[in-house]
Parts: sequence; C-alpha cells; structure tokens
Amino acid sequence: MFLNRQLVLPVHRTVPWRGIGAAGAAGLLLAALTRTGETAERLSLYLLRAAILAFAVGLAFLLDDPARHTTSTVPTRRPVRVALRTVLVVPAAAAWWTVALLLVPPEVRPPVADITLEAGAAFVLAVAGAAAAVRFSEVTRPGRPVTGALLTTAVLAMLFWPGRWALFVPVEDERWAAAHERWGLVLGGAVLLGVVCAIEPLRRRVRL
Amino acid sequence: MTTTVSASGLSLRYGGTRALDDVSLRLTAGVTGLLGPNGAGKTTLLRVLATALPADRGAFTVLGHDPGTARGRQEVRRRLGYLPQTPGFHPDFTAFEFVDYVAILKEMTDRAARHREVRRVLDEVGLAEVRGKRIRKLSGGMRQRVALGSALVGDPGFLVLDEPTVGLDPEQRMRFRELIAEAGEGRTVLLSTHQTEDVAMLCHRVVVMAAGRVRFEGTPAELTARAEGRVWSSTERDPGAKAGWRTGTGTFRNVGAPPPGAELLEPTLEDGYLLTLDDAGAEVAA
Repeated sequence: MFLNRQLVLPVHRTVPWRGIGAAGAAGLLLAALTRTGETAERLSLYLLRAAILAFAVGLAFLLDDPARHTTSTVPTRRPVRVALRTVLVVPAAAAWWTVALLLVPPEVRPPVADITLEAGAAFVLAVAGAAAAVRFSEVTRPGRPVTGALLTTAVLAMLFWPGRWALFVPVEDERWAAAHERWGLVLGGAVLLGVVCAIEPLRRRVRL
Repeated sequence: MTTTVSASGLSLRYGGTRALDDVSLRLTAGVTGLLGPNGAGKTTLLRVLATALPADRGAFTVLGHDPGTARGRQEVRRRLGYLPQTPGFHPDFTAFEFVDYVAILKEMTDRAARHREVRRVLDEVGLAEVRGKRIRKLSGGMRQRVALGSALVGDPGFLVLDEPTVGLDPEQRMRFRELIAEAGEGRTVLLSTHQTEDVAMLCHRVVVMAAGRVRFEGTPAELTARAEGRVWSSTERDPGAKAGWRTGTGTFRNVGAPPPGAELLEPTLEDGYLLTLDDAGAEVAA
C-alpha cells in the first residue's frame, strides 16, 4: 500500500507541534504589531515579512525525527513520510496565515496574493531545507541548523541581494510585480529541492 | 546451507577514507558476528546491508532480492529488521505505541493482527509489564529492548544488529544474549560487536574487519585456531609479545610469536582476533 491511513495518527504525534506553535505565536505577535498606533504601509509589510520568517523558522523543525535511524529501513518510503508530515501541517499553516493577514489592518495590508506567494515560498524553502539536511547528513533534528541557515540567508539576502533581482521590495516600488515573478521562481525551486531531497537514492555518486 | 545474504565487491568512501574496500561475504541462517576495531567499517557495512546507505560500488542480494533496484530494496525492507548503533525514539510514545508505529511503517495493515504481533514481540523482549509506559520513563536497557522489539516486529528473515549490548550492565547483556540467540533460530542475524565473548557464545560464523576490508571469515573455532601455539605464559611480560598482560594468578599471558620452550596456553577467540588484527595491520603497513 502506498500510504497506510493508520499512519496518520502516529505521524501526527511525531510532528513537533510545540516548536511550530511557538514560532507561529511569535509570528502572530509580529503581525499584531501592525495594529499598534498608526502604522505605515511599508512598516506593516516589514512586520508581516518578519512574521512569515518566524513561522518559517518553526516549519524548519517539521522533519525533526529522533527515531529517524530506528525507522530508516522500513518499507514505507521516506517521500511518503515527508509528504504526510507536510500535508498534516498545511491546514495549520493555512489557518495561521489567514489569522496573520487578518491581524493587519486592511488599509496597510500588502496585496494578498503577492504576499501569500512570498509566505508560501518561505515556508516551502524552510521544509525543503530540512529535507536537504536529512538527505545529505545523518542528523535526526535538522531544525536547528536549518533555522540558522534560513535566518542568515534572509538577513544576507535583505542586505546584499542585487537590486536588479530584488525580492524584498516595498509595495509602491515599480519592481514589485517583477519581484513577485522571482518569488514564483523561488517557490518553484524550493518545491523541486524538497522533492529531490525527499527521495532516497539507490546509488551514491561513484568517486572511486 | 542456503545463503541469505551474498555481497561482492562492496566499496564506499567518505571523503578520502575507504570505509568499505571491496567487501565480499556470504551469510547463512544463524548468528554471524562482525568484529573489528573502531573505524573498521562495521557500521558502514551493516548500514549498506540494511539498505540504510547505498554503496559506491559492488552488489549484494538479501533473501534473493537485489536492493540496487527500487523494487528490490522495497522487498528487502519488507523482510528486514534493523537495530542501529544509536536507536532513537519518540519519547512521548509508550513502548507499545512505538513498536506499533514501526509495525505500521512495516506495512502491517490489519490492526488486530498487528497488535497481536506487537504484544508477542514485547513479550519476547521482556517488556510485557511496561508496554504502557512512556519511553522517556524507561531505563537504557529497556529502551534498547524497545529498539530490538522494533527490529523483530513482523518476523524479519534478516536481522541486522549494530552493537546492541553497548552500555548494558552484565545482567542486561546476558538477557540480550538470550534474545539474540532466540532471534537467530531460523533466521539470519548479523551482529556487530566489540565483545568477543558475545561472538564466542552466540555465533556460528564470525567476520573480522579492519580498515574497511574483511580480514577473516569462518567459524569462531577457526578464528581461535589462528592463535594456536601463539599464546604463552611467563613470569615477566615478554617484550617480543604483540600483547601481554598480568593475569589474576600473577603470571603474564602473552600473545604473539612465543620464544623457544615457552609454556603454551589454550588460546581464546579474543587471542585469534587480536592476532588477526595484528596480521591485518602488518599487511596494511607493508
């Protein structure tokens, strides 16, 4: 059987909900800051992006699995287990994102479709990073190193990303539409990375 | 005797280190011990044979299936039990829930039959009394038995055990020996260990590895026989000995090339193992 439905409950119990929940709470707090005083549209965008990053950090812990080595040779394939964990977290992520958006006053809320694309790309990138850490290392808890990498990448990208390929632009910037085409590419790349890394290889690259 | 596992030319590198270097071996039903110093490649070999790690080169079959193909690997995994060197658990699961989780991952879909099997396995490893207890509250020895139970669930034909007695007290080790001996009845068990006593007491075959290569493959008696005439007693430590230590009686037990007229002693499996490693070291140095 491709996926045993009896797996759903135990896998649900193995998802690190506490870490994801804490990151989600921190993210909602950041989103709620847009309601304090008279927040400019640009500041609310930055706060929402910080909220997205906070929740993405939580999702980086999605594939933490202390029983990884004990269950490494079972016939239920790794892509199935990764997919199941991901599917289980999707409703929670969707609910979180809806609440985060609703916390931002409508008059300063960035375009919903575009900012949702940014959020989706960040969330998928976090999970794909965790899948890559599992694929290329023996770690059982990839969350912490991936969080470090994610935060460092985000800060470096905001500071040094070349202007002509800008991703983090304000709403009124004329590059907004082009930036969101690039966010689409980031999302596509992250999905591809996640899928490739979830697959268990039959052979290593021959280096003899 | 039917061959369960047949491997030829398995090689694997980590960076510049050859973890496995052209390893070939055959395993049959019963317990085969895998001995070797740290870094010999034992865990790597076990992980390759357990399909946890693909090799760079070489081929092997387990119970007639080739893990080099997706379908073959799937079939091998359906017949495999694996206890890794450092088994991990979800600490909030009870012993029953964890083994049941592994059983579901092993594609046991019939809930009633699966629960019967989980109860049987927990009985077998002596955890029936604590099956409802959370793993975080179990002792190290009990957790190790949960891991063995996870490996045994589904009655696998090939069982791979990586140093299962590490960190256990003598009583727990004795209990584990019983479990492994029982597990070896009718199935193939590959047991990696540093304990030569475990091999002497449990195994019908033994493989010695050093520097990623198989240095010996045979019966424990054959490994012991390698030290025949190469173990002797003396009142002082013999400087020509490869190894020598004072025994409880005050005399020295020496292993190596005895001087003429030395009082020879009955060798043990450990003596044969030490001399095999020494020969391997000399071969590598040459």
